[in-house]
Amino acid sequence: MKADLKIKKKPMKEKLNKNELHRQSVLLVFTIIFVIYGFIFYYLPLAGWIMGFQNYKIRDGLFHSQFVGFDKFIFLFQDKSFLRVIRNTLAMGIINLVATFVTAIAFAILLNEVRNKTGKKMVQTISYLPHFLSWIIVTGIIHDALSNTGIINEILMNLHVIDGPINFFAHEKYFWPIVAFANVWKETGWNAIIYLAAITSIDPSLYEAAEMDGAGRWAKIKHITLPGIRPTIMILLVMNVGNVLNAGFEVQYLLGNGLVRKVSETIDIYVLNWGVSQSDYSLGTAAGIFKSVVAIILIIIANSVAKKSGEEHLF
Amino acid sequence: MKFKKFLALTMACMLSVAALAGCGGGDKPTTGGSSEPKGLEAGETYEKDEIVNYTMFIAMPGSEINDGNEIQNIIAEKTGVKVKETWLTGQSAAEAVGSILASGDLPDFIDGGDGMMQLYDAGVLVPWDEYIEKYPNIKELYSDEEWESFRQKDGHIYWANVFCNTYGESMATGHNDEAFWIQCRVLEWAGYPEIKTLDQYFDLLERYAAANPTMEDGTPVIPYTMLCEDWRYFCIENAPEFLAGYPNDGSVIVDTNAMKIVDYNTIPEAKEYFSILNEEYNKGIIDTEFATQTYDEYIAKLSTGRVLGMCDQWWDFAYTVNDIFVQQNLDDIGCNYVPLGLTLEEGKEQMWHVYGDTLNNSSGVAVTTSCADPDRAFRFLNDVLDQEIHDLRFWGVEGVDYLVDEDGMYYRTQEMRDKWADSAYQAEHRCVYSYLPQWLGTSHDGKNAMQPQEQASEFFAGLADPLVKCFEAYGAHGYPDMIGSVVKETGPWYPMYSYSNSMTTETPGGVAWTKMGEVKHEWLPKVVMASNFDKEWDAYMKAYSECKPEDFIAEMQEELDRRAGR
Repeated sequence: MKADLKIKKKPMKEKLNKNELHRQSVLLVFTIIFVIYGFIFYYLPLAGWIMGFQNYKIRDGLFHSQFVGFDKFIFLFQDKSFLRVIRNTLAMGIINLVATFVTAIAFAILLNEVRNKTGKKMVQTISYLPHFLSWIIVTGIIHDALSNTGIINEILMNLHVIDGPINFFAHEKYFWPIVAFANVWKETGWNAIIYLAAITSIDPSLYEAAEMDGAGRWAKIKHITLPGIRPTIMILLVMNVGNVLNAGFEVQYLLGNGLVRKVSETIDIYVLNWGVSQSDYSLGTAAGIFKSVVAIILIIIANSVAKKSGEEHLF
Repeated sequence: MKFKKFLALTMACMLSVAALAGCGGGDKPTTGGSSEPKGLEAGETYEKDEIVNYTMFIAMPGSEINDGNEIQNIIAEKTGVKVKETWLTGQSAAEAVGSILASGDLPDFIDGGDGMMQLYDAGVLVPWDEYIEKYPNIKELYSDEEWESFRQKDGHIYWANVFCNTYGESMATGHNDEAFWIQCRVLEWAGYPEIKTLDQYFDLLERYAAANPTMEDGTPVIPYTMLCEDWRYFCIENAPEFLAGYPNDGSVIVDTNAMKIVDYNTIPEAKEYFSILNEEYNKGIIDTEFATQTYDEYIAKLSTGRVLGMCDQWWDFAYTVNDIFVQQNLDDIGCNYVPLGLTLEEGKEQMWHVYGDTLNNSSGVAVTTSCADPDRAFRFLNDVLDQEIHDLRFWGVEGVDYLVDEDGMYYRTQEMRDKWADSAYQAEHRCVYSYLPQWLGTSHDGKNAMQPQEQASEFFAGLADPLVKCFEAYGAHGYPDMIGSVVKETGPWYPMYSYSNSMTTETPGGVAWTKMGEVKHEWLPKVVMASNFDKEWDAYMKAYSECKPEDFIAEMQEELDRRAGR
């Protein structure tokens, strides 16, 4: 991981010549394929951004729709509900990021400390299995577990914590924690894999040396394991910050209802409501452009902060 | 080494080809080769290789039938066309239509429901005009005036609604629309009282639930529930228009004296209705999960027989729930629902049931431009209205699904009825094409009903005993009699929802309409669950007026004036 991502400064630039090209031909073919792939699937669709500045109609198509400049953006920012979905998206994005990040790291470290090999393998396998379930299944499970007759209410009632069942989906205050919990439950095991891999690459002699110096488990975690996986953590953090606005679509769409609409709707749901359901593709595109621009800004900020503090960074 | 390099290169090429292949155009539907006239009139049948396969998307939930469905094959042999239907799953109609348009992957036939206008705006529908003249069965569906009402701004007709259309004499015994429903066992328990007002209704539910708090197996009964999910929130939302005595114009009330549009969300009846719901909620009569349940959960709840009453449209619950009642023997203990025509004060006239046909010109079946041979498609729409095919769709195969007595009347044995209701049998044998043109009323033979549920003999024979007893106790000959609405003509503007359904966010009224929906989705359940009703109601009204409902009302008024010809 570390070696792949670090940009190494070479002492001398090698000259490009025929021989060199020939020597690396296979690698070049591979690279070109991915460049073409990236161009087609990531850059070509950007042409559709034109829609954001038009009053796009399917009947007229991209070439005959009327241009309206920034009208759609102005509508967006005058729309109270759009400002609200930005807030929701950011809030849930940040909560999810922090929650999944911390739990994954903690889980990886704990798992690493397990001495029993079979137990460790088993826990690891079981814990990453939810990653392969689709959200529709996960939300179904959560909906059932949190319903009035679901397991959570049953347990709380039998423990006499509450008198009657709580309808968790009827209160705005529970919605963000439920979404965060769903994310943690689904992704912790999967996200921990990368940290576990990073931990295994730490030189065992460091641990041995520390033991000689009389370090206990806690000291070893604090002074060897954590610093050892720090570059991995930083890179993943920088990459994930850009994803904050991708706070999710399925979870909120499937778990939300009229009562919690104010806190449950994300930018993606807003785009779906206006862009697809109301056929206002232009408005949907404008919201999408806004989202992309903010994501890029976030990544640049995170990256430069990492760079300034001398940490691992992307570019 | 050389070989490995070669292998790597080949694999890389294959990968890139595979990645690019995704961009190619979709498969075009195959079309039949022969163009010679052949079919129902010629009395010939089509060979397997001559049958054209079409696709159809219906923006309503439904169950898919099996490939190789028996009646579908019979119809295909006779008409030369087989239609594969797909249904809405887990989305709203507008979303589904939006994604079909965005992908460009259109079916041959489509019923876009609320998304019809999107399809029209996108210009992907084939005009009907020349085909209406060409095919007599299609033309016969509507009068010239009615056909005119389907005409869009560009002067063409693009779809025809397939429902609520009576041929010959009406034989209606059902109430397909909205009502406050109550299990007939509750009425039986109370000795079949007259229930005319919402207060009496809830009073009866309260008394019954107090006396019979659980089902036989010990699960508690739910006296009243309501659905608030997505577009189905009409279950909580539009009762005020009925309680105030008006018919289902859907989005507004039409005051026929002043010819003015009235917003039913703000009338005193609305406040009273919600305050009653609020009171019942705080008494524990209303399901505490009502606001967060999904449609599936709602149907599952009704299917257990635990729910004593609710407000809903018949088509929204009855088809699924009634079949399950039969399978679970819950119909024998009186779990079936009967409709009541309630108002807020006793003696007020109401129009929960509207007699006669309701023409909803905002949606219907359409042929899309991706259909390779529109003429063939319209010929099929003509053929499915042929009496022989119509009988196959709704009655089934003679001798197998129904019998004919010496007077030529169709009837079924109990065994046939049970089989007809069985879901496995439905998938392998029945092919209703329920969203293609169809008739209600009397068959071309002048005796039988077009659809079995309207055949008088079939209707009563198909009812469970407790239902029959209930109908007898009230002297009712069918569901409409249970409601007892006044017989009153609806104006040419009826129903106004056909206009609000077609509104888009292009106009200020359309934007207001969308926002009003959002606000009501949030506030109506809140108001019902409030501990301080008046305070919550005022907050709701404030949020509601911020949506500028007046823009919406103004546009509805314009349309009303147009429809009323003023």
